[in-house]
Amino acid sequence: MAHDLGFWTLQALNALQLSMLLFLLSIGLTVIFGLMHFVNLAHGSLYALGAYFAASLAAVGGYWMGFFLAPVAVAGVGVLLYSGLIKRMRKSGPMAQVLVTFGLIFALLDLTRIFWGDLALAIEVPALLEGRLAFLGVEYPTYRLFIIGLGLAIFAALAFVLSRTQIGAMIRAGVDNDAMAACLGINVERLFFIVFCFGCALAGLAGAVAAPLLSVTPDMGLQILIPTLIVIVIGGLGSLKGAIAGSLIYGFVQTFGAVLAPQLASVLIYALLAAVLVIKPVGLFPAKG
Amino acid sequence: MFRHNSLRYAVLILLAVAALFQAFTAEYFGLEILTEILVLAILVLALDIVAGFAGMVSLCHGALMGVGAYAYALLSTKAGVAPPVAMAGAVALTGVAGWVIGAVCSRSHGIYFIMATLAFGQMAYSYVFEAPVFGGDDGLGGIERLDLSLIGLDLNDSRTFAVFCLAVLGAVYGASVLILRSGLGRSLSGVMHNEQRMRALGLTVWRVKADVFGLSGMIAGLAGVLAAQHIMFISPGLLSWTVSGEALVVVILGGLGTLVGPLVGAAAFVVLKHELSAVTTYWHLVVGVILIAVVMSRANGIFGWIEARWGARIDRRVADATRKQQPGEVVNDA
Repeated sequence: MAHDLGFWTLQALNALQLSMLLFLLSIGLTVIFGLMHFVNLAHGSLYALGAYFAASLAAVGGYWMGFFLAPVAVAGVGVLLYSGLIKRMRKSGPMAQVLVTFGLIFALLDLTRIFWGDLALAIEVPALLEGRLAFLGVEYPTYRLFIIGLGLAIFAALAFVLSRTQIGAMIRAGVDNDAMAACLGINVERLFFIVFCFGCALAGLAGAVAAPLLSVTPDMGLQILIPTLIVIVIGGLGSLKGAIAGSLIYGFVQTFGAVLAPQLASVLIYALLAAVLVIKPVGLFPAKG
Repeated sequence: MFRHNSLRYAVLILLAVAALFQAFTAEYFGLEILTEILVLAILVLALDIVAGFAGMVSLCHGALMGVGAYAYALLSTKAGVAPPVAMAGAVALTGVAGWVIGAVCSRSHGIYFIMATLAFGQMAYSYVFEAPVFGGDDGLGGIERLDLSLIGLDLNDSRTFAVFCLAVLGAVYGASVLILRSGLGRSLSGVMHNEQRMRALGLTVWRVKADVFGLSGMIAGLAGVLAAQHIMFISPGLLSWTVSGEALVVVILGGLGTLVGPLVGAAAFVVLKHELSAVTTYWHLVVGVILIAVVMSRANGIFGWIEARWGARIDRRVADATRKQQPGEVVNDA
C-alpha cells in the first residue's frame, strides 16, 4: 500500500483539503490577533454559525445561496460582536479577552442549540460539484478538490492584497506598529473593524464549505478551535505566511500521522507544537521580527 | 505576597461553617453537590496560585487533575498498590508533570503561555483517550476510596467523604498560603511584577516558575485523586480543555489572586450550574452571559468586588475620622 503512488496522492490531497479549511479559519484569527492583539476564542463558534446559516439558506435557495450569503451573515454577527464587546475589550490583557470570548463560546453554543436544535443538520453537495475526478491514478471527490482550489484562490488573493495594495500596506503597517501607523494618518480603528468583519466572513465561509463534508452540529466550533489555534501558534501570529505554513504542517502531520502511525497520530501534532514553542516561542513566521 | 485581612478571615469562616452545616444536615443529593464543590475548590486553588500570583494563565489544569485521577486509578486498580500509597504516587506524578510543563512553558508569555499549556493539556487528553491501558473513551471503573477504618471512619459513606474532602481542602488552603508566603512565593510575586528585574537580581526565573507550577500541579493532582474517589469512575472527559477553561472561569468568577475568591467562585458555580440545569438545558448561555458581564465590569470577580467595596468603606471611614480630627487640632494649636 505504502509503495503505491495513488495512496500518496490520495493522502496528500486529504491533507491539502484539511489544510485549506484550517487556513480559511486561521487567517482571519491570525490577522485579527496580529492587528488588534485580540484573542478571539469564539472564532470557531463563528465558523459553526457559518455552517448553520449555510444549511438554513441552502434549504431555501440551494447550496450556492448559502455559500455566498453565509459569510455575509457571519460578518453581520461580527459587526454586532465588535460594537458590543470587542471594541471595549481591546485594551485589556489576554486573560480578560480569553475569558470574554470563552463566555461568548458558551453563549453562541447554546444560541445555535436554541435556534437550530441539537440534531445534526445535513447539507447536500451542489450538483455542479458532485461526483469524482480521476487523475494521477486516483479518483477524488470533486467537492474536496473545490475546497483545495478555493483555499488556494483565497490565499493568492490575500497575498496579492496584503503585498501589493494600499490597504494591504496599511494592514501590514498596523500589524508592525499600530501607534506609528496611526501617526502616519491611518485610521487604525476603522482598519481593525474592517479586518475583523472580513475575518468573521472567512470563518463563515469556512463553515459553509465544511458543512457538506461534516454534519452540522452545535459543537463543531469547539472541535475546530484547537486545531486552528495550533496552526496560528506554530505558524506565528499575525502573518499570512505563518497561517499557510501552519495549516500545511497541521494538515500533513495529522493526515499522514493517522495513516502511518495511528497510535501516535493524535499526540504527534501536540508534541510538534510543544517543540515549536520551546525552540521558537513566537512561532515559525511571526509578523514581527 | 498573599495576606489575609479581616474580610478574608470572615468569609473563610463563613464558608467553613456553611460547608460543615451542609455536610451534617444535607441528604444524599446535597452531599454530592457539596463534595463536587469541595473538589472543584481544590482545583481552582491550584489554578489561582499560578494564574493569580504569577500571571501564568494555565489551560492545562483540568488535564493535570485528570493525570492525577488516572494515575490513582491505575495504581490502585491495575497495579494493586494500597490506596494511600497510590494517592501519594499520583500526587507526586502530577507534580512532576506540572514541573515539566512549567519548565517548558516558562519562556512563553501571555497568549503563547496559554496556548502552550493548552497544547500539553490536549496532548494528555489525546493520549488518555487513545491508549487502551486507560480504557479509552469507556473510562475506568471500580476505583476504591481511601480506607480510614483504622481511625473509625468509613469513607464509603457520602457524609464522611464530604467531611474528609473538606478537611483536605482546609489542608490545601493552608499549604497554598504557606507556599505563597515562603521565599519561593515571594520570588514569584517579584517575577510577576517585573521579570527583568528579578533576572537582573540573579534569580533563575524559569526555576521559580517551574517549581510553583509543579506545586500547583500536585494540588491539581490531589483534586483529581479525590474526584476519582468521589465518582469511583473516570473518563477522558476529565482532561478535556473545557474543564480547564471552566476552572479558569470559576477563578475569575470568584476573584483572581485572592485564594478566598476562587472558593466563593467554586460554590457559586456549582450551585448555579445545578439550579440552572434544573430550570433550563441552556445553562451554558446564562453562565456565558454572566462571565462576560463579570469580566466586562472590570471587577475582580464576586469576592474581588466585595473586597473593593469593603476597602472603599474603610478608606471613607479613615477619611471621615481625619476630617473630624482636623478642626480639633486647629483648636488645640490656637
